[in-house]
Amino acid sequence: MSDILESYQQTLSELTFNSRPIIETLTTIAKENPTVADGIIDLITQRIRRAIPQHKLFALYLLDSICKTVGNPYNILVGYDVYNLFIDVWKVVDEATRTRLVALFETWKISKVRGGGESLFPRDQLDKVEGFLKKVGKLTSAPTQSQSQKSQSGPVLSNSKLISDINQLIPIFEAKLKRTNDSKLNDKFRALNQLKIILTNQQMKPQELQAVQNQLNAIKEQELSPAPPSLPPIPPKPVIHQQHQQQQQQPPQPLQPIVNASQIFNDLILSGLVKKEQEPIPGSKPNYTLVFPTIKYVPKTEIPGVDVLADILNPNSNIQRSEYQKLKFGELVQISKAISGDDNSLQKFINTNKPSHSSVQLLYNSKASKCSICGKRFSTDQEGSTKKRLHLDWHFRINKKLTGTGSGATGTGGGVVSNVQSRSWYLDDYDWANFKDEQLLEFATPEVAQTATINSNIPSGVVPYVVVPSADTNMNNKCLICLEQVKASYNDEIGEWCWMGCIKSPNDSKNLRKIVHITCFNDRKRATDTEDGNTRKRGKLA
Amino acid sequence: MSIPGFGTDSNDPVTSTAIINIPHKSEWRIEIPFKTTLDFTVTSGVAEIFGTELPLNVHIHLSGVKCAIYAPIEDVSISYHLIDNIGELSSEDNEFSEYISTESCMDNYLNLHLAIEQKRQSCTDHNILNPGELIMGPRVLVLGGDACGKTSLCKILSGYAVKMDSCPVLVNLNPRDGVFALPGSISATPVSDSFDLETSGGYGFTTTSGSLAHNPKQPIVKNFGFSSIRENLDLYKYQISQLGITVLSRLEQDLSVRNGGVIIDTPSLDIKDFSVIENIVSDFQVNILVVIGNEKLSIDLGKKFKHKSNLDIVKVPGSPGVVDVNESFIRRVQEQTIKEYFNGTNKTRLSPFKTDIDLHDLVIYKPVVTRDLMSSLSFLPKYYAILEEPSSSNLDNSIIAITQLPQTNKSPRDLLNSSVLGYVHVSKFDDDKKKLKVLLPFPGVFPRNVLIATNIGYNE
Ligand SMILES: [Zn+2]
Ligand SMILES: [Zn+2]
Repeated sequence: MSDILESYQQTLSELTFNSRPIIETLTTIAKENPTVADGIIDLITQRIRRAIPQHKLFALYLLDSICKTVGNPYNILVGYDVYNLFIDVWKVVDEATRTRLVALFETWKISKVRGGGESLFPRDQLDKVEGFLKKVGKLTSAPTQSQSQKSQSGPVLSNSKLISDINQLIPIFEAKLKRTNDSKLNDKFRALNQLKIILTNQQMKPQELQAVQNQLNAIKEQELSPAPPSLPPIPPKPVIHQQHQQQQQQPPQPLQPIVNASQIFNDLILSGLVKKEQEPIPGSKPNYTLVFPTIKYVPKTEIPGVDVLADILNPNSNIQRSEYQKLKFGELVQISKAISGDDNSLQKFINTNKPSHSSVQLLYNSKASKCSICGKRFSTDQEGSTKKRLHLDWHFRINKKLTGTGSGATGTGGGVVSNVQSRSWYLDDYDWANFKDEQLLEFATPEVAQTATINSNIPSGVVPYVVVPSADTNMNNKCLICLEQVKASYNDEIGEWCWMGCIKSPNDSKNLRKIVHITCFNDRKRATDTEDGNTRKRGKLA
Repeated sequence: MSIPGFGTDSNDPVTSTAIINIPHKSEWRIEIPFKTTLDFTVTSGVAEIFGTELPLNVHIHLSGVKCAIYAPIEDVSISYHLIDNIGELSSEDNEFSEYISTESCMDNYLNLHLAIEQKRQSCTDHNILNPGELIMGPRVLVLGGDACGKTSLCKILSGYAVKMDSCPVLVNLNPRDGVFALPGSISATPVSDSFDLETSGGYGFTTTSGSLAHNPKQPIVKNFGFSSIRENLDLYKYQISQLGITVLSRLEQDLSVRNGGVIIDTPSLDIKDFSVIENIVSDFQVNILVVIGNEKLSIDLGKKFKHKSNLDIVKVPGSPGVVDVNESFIRRVQEQTIKEYFNGTNKTRLSPFKTDIDLHDLVIYKPVVTRDLMSSLSFLPKYYAILEEPSSSNLDNSIIAITQLPQTNKSPRDLLNSSVLGYVHVSKFDDDKKKLKVLLPFPGVFPRNVLIATNIGYNE
């Protein structure tokens, strides 16, 4: 056995209570040593099968942690064995532990492999476990994710139900925060508030609601079990197997009537509050130690996310994203995990990360449509296609202007519009701070949806211009047809500031600021002439 | 391919065109003197220059440039030829040089970008979910010695950000370079679209009165007046904090820029300049400090900033492709930047405006040189002083910054707080008539009358 595996086995044998530090350490080692993944899986499955019943759950928790945090290859290696492992444990443990097992299984049903959409373990294995649990009456016939029907028997999970759950938790957090200044607690409190905002503003899918519910239960368990304050009772679900269902919803059961002392003691061990050390020999004396409650492992539904909040929810449902943004988000989530470790993790990432193919392609082929004129890239989703169309329109307009072609067909000599231009003055601090760069780009949204049909004649042969009204202080204007910005330039010959290459809009010639490019005007006129006015629908001239 | 001067009757037209293949993840490093134009097209593959991707089968013209064309995802094929720039006084000894290098730090730079972009993403998401308590995207300060590739890295980081739909503010604190401005200034510019590689410095145009084939940028410009920050460190620091205030207020106003954060390019600074670095860090609320190729500096900075928990200090290797740029080349780039400010490029010509103005109507200041012992004399102005005796000897062939101050303003404090409206070039001062012959970028009356003379010279 390699050194890694030997020390792994050693640490594993210390997992005799629900210790988050040990589970996290062993998870990290597993993450860093994928080359011995099969060895690690062997050790863990052996431990699950051979440890005394009171210790089995913790080894299962470790397996859960590795599969959710690391995923491939661990979840694949153990996948075919999940049903057998689960049943083996089930057969020998007490009722309290079985409740934990059901809760653990609930998280497996909705967990996805890191960075992918596949379920954590093979669907057929999960279905077998589910079938078993139903048979022994531990599960109602509520459907799994693979079945699409919603249970009719229980109250439907809804946004408002979860909001009221959160509302119950918030005062408890506030009270706690008044007493201590724990940053973790603070984070959780903020996440709860954020979650409430989302729930208030957004309808969620059933499985997302389920994920939130599970997470809320976990938070309740963590925050309330050590020293239960006056927890408002959770409305019980009136389902057929009410007792079991209720247990499953709130595993720690801190407020339940005490049945007997050994039951309590068992609960304490399971919750990680009491550590029980006992030689795996029948009759040997157990050794009990008190353990601080914050360090126990709670199986989560691991769905990748950037922060606490995204860990709670399926990230793609939080915020509306285009296809490209989803891709980018998925990649950056992986990167976020890589750089958010210890102090040095950012430096390590910069030094040693081999950029994955999919990360690199965010800069290139994830935006597969490349402009043949300037090389700018666009995604092929709807947002990208729209932008590319506007972009090509813009190239076309600019090119027409720069080459002086484009309106020759009218024979009015419109092509002589020159593109004489000068550099503008820079903005002052105030204007710059309030400036929006969209004004510089080709995607500016039209403010005028429908421009009028123009039908007058324009003298040909000279560059037309519109003199800026003398009372006017705003030199910037825009063409009513193409909506491009038109800036005034100084006309030396007449000593006036002019909008060069423009004419007053024939439709509204009284308003001195309404102007159109002569080229745009001619194009519009030509289109109107040839298509007999059928172009009204077109918002923009291509 | 038809080039003026290269007729089809040329003896051997084929030799004028060469093909080069850049293997995947290699760089083609090229140095093009000002007397030569490199005319090239990418014929296959994806190629980029400092993070800006090149179009396929489109002619690109570069002159007076030292850069690297990188092949990020596949082999690249380029066909190119050289054109002599007629009329260019070729005092340069340098000839066109090129080689392929397989050494590249681009993976490290891409990693850095991905880490920064991740921070932008979580900032963006946070701001969507918490419209009541908005936060800022990453503020990245790039530090390092001379010619270690700071500017290239800043361009790469900005270029990649744009490609991923982010809009960072590129801040240039090296007054030697004019970034969307003239040398002698510091500036900040949201990078809302790709850079225009065919312009001086490879940045692109600011706004004009007409149409541009490449979207322009809109900078805020602060005057410094010298190429070297050592001439007046106090003024330099003052203007940095002025620029910082304005940039942070832009971030307040503009959500996309707020999410995009800031990328700061700097002159060569070392640990002896810690007070400058400290100023930049606090004025721009820097939270990522990137040190290029200087282990010692990053360790020293780590010690000095130990108390700052919200500041990540990382180091990246310097690109081995960075060439030592000599003084005369720098000067030549400055001249080209000034020329393009007024006249545009061969592709996009601008029409400046020549006029005469009375000295009478103007108030001209000049930045004080405090490099000398003067700085310790507290009764002398620290930053600007009135230009006492304007004459042909101190005005001819110089660049003067026009401030944004209205005509009536006479307060020196406001002068310090004003940014630059634009520049004029004084070609001649008539000592008798007290008239300046000036070149303005934009036609019309002289817009303001409070000016600041700079130490930047220019011959038309
Ligand atoms: Zn394009
Ligand atoms: Zn128009």
